[in-house]
Amino acid sequence: MKGRTTLRRHSTWRLLAALLALALVAAACGDDAGESTTTAGGTDTTAGSTDTTEGEPTTTTEGAQPVDSCEATVGFIGPITGDVAFIGGVQLNWFNYALDTWNEEMGYDFQMVEGDNQFDTAQSATLAQQFLDNTAMVAAVGPAGSDQVDAAGAVYEAGDPNFTFISPSSTRSGITAQYTGMFRTVPTDDDQGPTTADFLMAQGAENVFIVDDQSSYSTGLADSVEENLTAANVTVTRDSVAQDVTDFSALVGTIPDEANFVYLPWQVAANGQIFANQMTEQGKEAVIFGSDGMDSDDFTEAGSYIAAFAPDISAIEGSQSILDGYLEQYDDTNTFGPPVYAAARVIFEAIDRVCQTGQTPDRANVQAEVRNTDQADSILGSPISFTEDGDLAEGRFFIFQIQEDGSKTLVE
Amino acid sequence: MENFLQQTVNGLTLGSVYALLALGYSMVYGVLKFLNFAHGEVYMFGAFAGYGMLTVLGGPSALLVPVWAAIMLMFVASMVVASGIGVALERFAYRPLRNSSRIAPLISAVGASFFLQAAALLLFTANSRSYEAPTLIPIESGLTVGPINVWMVRILVIVTAVVLMILLTWWVERSKVGRAVRAVSYDREAAAMMGVDVDRVIVVTFLIGSALAGVGGVMVGLVFGRIFHLMGFVAGLKAFTAAVVGGIGSIPGAMLGGLLIGFAEAYTTAYISSTFQNLIVFGLLIAFLLIRPSGFLGRPELAKV
Repeated sequence: MKGRTTLRRHSTWRLLAALLALALVAAACGDDAGESTTTAGGTDTTAGSTDTTEGEPTTTTEGAQPVDSCEATVGFIGPITGDVAFIGGVQLNWFNYALDTWNEEMGYDFQMVEGDNQFDTAQSATLAQQFLDNTAMVAAVGPAGSDQVDAAGAVYEAGDPNFTFISPSSTRSGITAQYTGMFRTVPTDDDQGPTTADFLMAQGAENVFIVDDQSSYSTGLADSVEENLTAANVTVTRDSVAQDVTDFSALVGTIPDEANFVYLPWQVAANGQIFANQMTEQGKEAVIFGSDGMDSDDFTEAGSYIAAFAPDISAIEGSQSILDGYLEQYDDTNTFGPPVYAAARVIFEAIDRVCQTGQTPDRANVQAEVRNTDQADSILGSPISFTEDGDLAEGRFFIFQIQEDGSKTLVE
Repeated sequence: MENFLQQTVNGLTLGSVYALLALGYSMVYGVLKFLNFAHGEVYMFGAFAGYGMLTVLGGPSALLVPVWAAIMLMFVASMVVASGIGVALERFAYRPLRNSSRIAPLISAVGASFFLQAAALLLFTANSRSYEAPTLIPIESGLTVGPINVWMVRILVIVTAVVLMILLTWWVERSKVGRAVRAVSYDREAAAMMGVDVDRVIVVTFLIGSALAGVGGVMVGLVFGRIFHLMGFVAGLKAFTAAVVGGIGSIPGAMLGGLLIGFAEAYTTAYISSTFQNLIVFGLLIAFLLIRPSGFLGRPELAKV
């Protein structure tokens, strides 16, 4: 009897230890393990016509007549729900807006399939396979993050290298070279890291505290900025913290008194605001510089700087009317949106060019035409053409400073 | 010295929240000998209830009532919602399995945890919310302790946690229902034979433990700002660690464990690296489970002979 009771007691603790180990493994394996239970299945959506006719998309096919029959399905993968839903929601809206205005303008009836990857790599791979299995689909926009691009890209590359996917926000350097069908409408971290470091030095940075958020996006950027600053003899202190942490008070306490800048290459902007509040609480006066992942209304610390891979398009002549048209239908936008519009237009125009030659759009000929993209201007205020790998030929980052009223002023 | 003092305040704040959460784990384990893994989600709903009340009262920048009244009402709302969820969990997810094998309610608790996460996602969406506490209580307000300034919100959190823990201890030690809770904790069958309404005691235990978690949720919202539908997962694991370290089933142990985990996190970040924070905390959990499962203040389980 005693033996049985003791055994049961030990079994309970062993069970607890096993459950704990499982939980830790699950947390270690996934970017946001355990955060999603939503079905990964894509949703077929027919692009409805809209009343909006104000879009003035810049296009190399201006003046071209739509052909009688030009049909295609284009996919969209983004984090529509999950921790960074503020990115995916806006990206989906911009994709739908691009599709609606394109169909209306050209008289086409392109279809779309949306997939919510919840910023999760496993979901991204599953959605990529679903897109590949959809024979009507010729190309896709997304995923948003570099880790998710890696997951989806491996599936596309193995299944059909002719499948084109254009990421509107993945900035990790070198990633396009790994996947035949990958393109992007944003610049790379090779641009962002040095741009950030140069800007910090121009602002008189002598001692910089860098905290990455333990994602590959963040560590890559942090490494790049650290390398550039160290090479210029700027003192750098480096630390890291997980994305799901919301108390940074202990970390803030370790910011050296001599530090005059804090660099946060984070993807959860709300965490950046907490960090800023706790800096104020502890009397830390260093200025925060956030990466493009912090470019959100959740981060409003006055005096801070933000890097952005897209400009404020409201200040670009020719893009204002597109923005106005978008805002008639949707309430919310941020810098993650316009690159989606640009990516969608690249694909739509490529399909159109295929149709103009009398061919039926398929993955191979659409990819060939995407590769030939040569837009003299775009919603982003700059030309769009691609390098051999699929990067923007002329990519650059923009730096904004947050003002007291929360607005952002372009400073570089 | 300044850094040490600052980190001590940081650890004390975080530890106070963990202690309140750990109390729920410990109380439930004390009476039912099972771990309510959905407790972290109860805390999350408490945080959202507080946010809801703040919104109803006009939001942080346009409050219709004085700040102190708003915070009190937020605490009340969180306690009501959290205790309601806790009692519902007990009634529908755990009571039907009370006489099953010990693994059954454990699995039910894990399922309830994911159910509540998904429910919160549907109800509140994935966007995080902010209490904007610096708007309610300016960051510059507070007490100067030596070379550091302690924000009033941190003082509020620490004092509230201490008061609640003292009240709970008094209630368990001195009140009639508290004595019944202790009786059920010692021996459920014997307590029932002595006329204790065991079902009622268990419901009261869930009610009190969940209410404390709700308060913890509002505290986190006030002091750290961001609340979101997944905030209960890691916090729950850490509170569970606190309960184990202090001695699961022991109320003073839960308080001690919570504070120890809070200090461990703060000092690890300050003197080693924040990268090692979770490694140290969960390393402690594994070490205690293997070496001293009864924790610092827990009672070793007695085996019938």
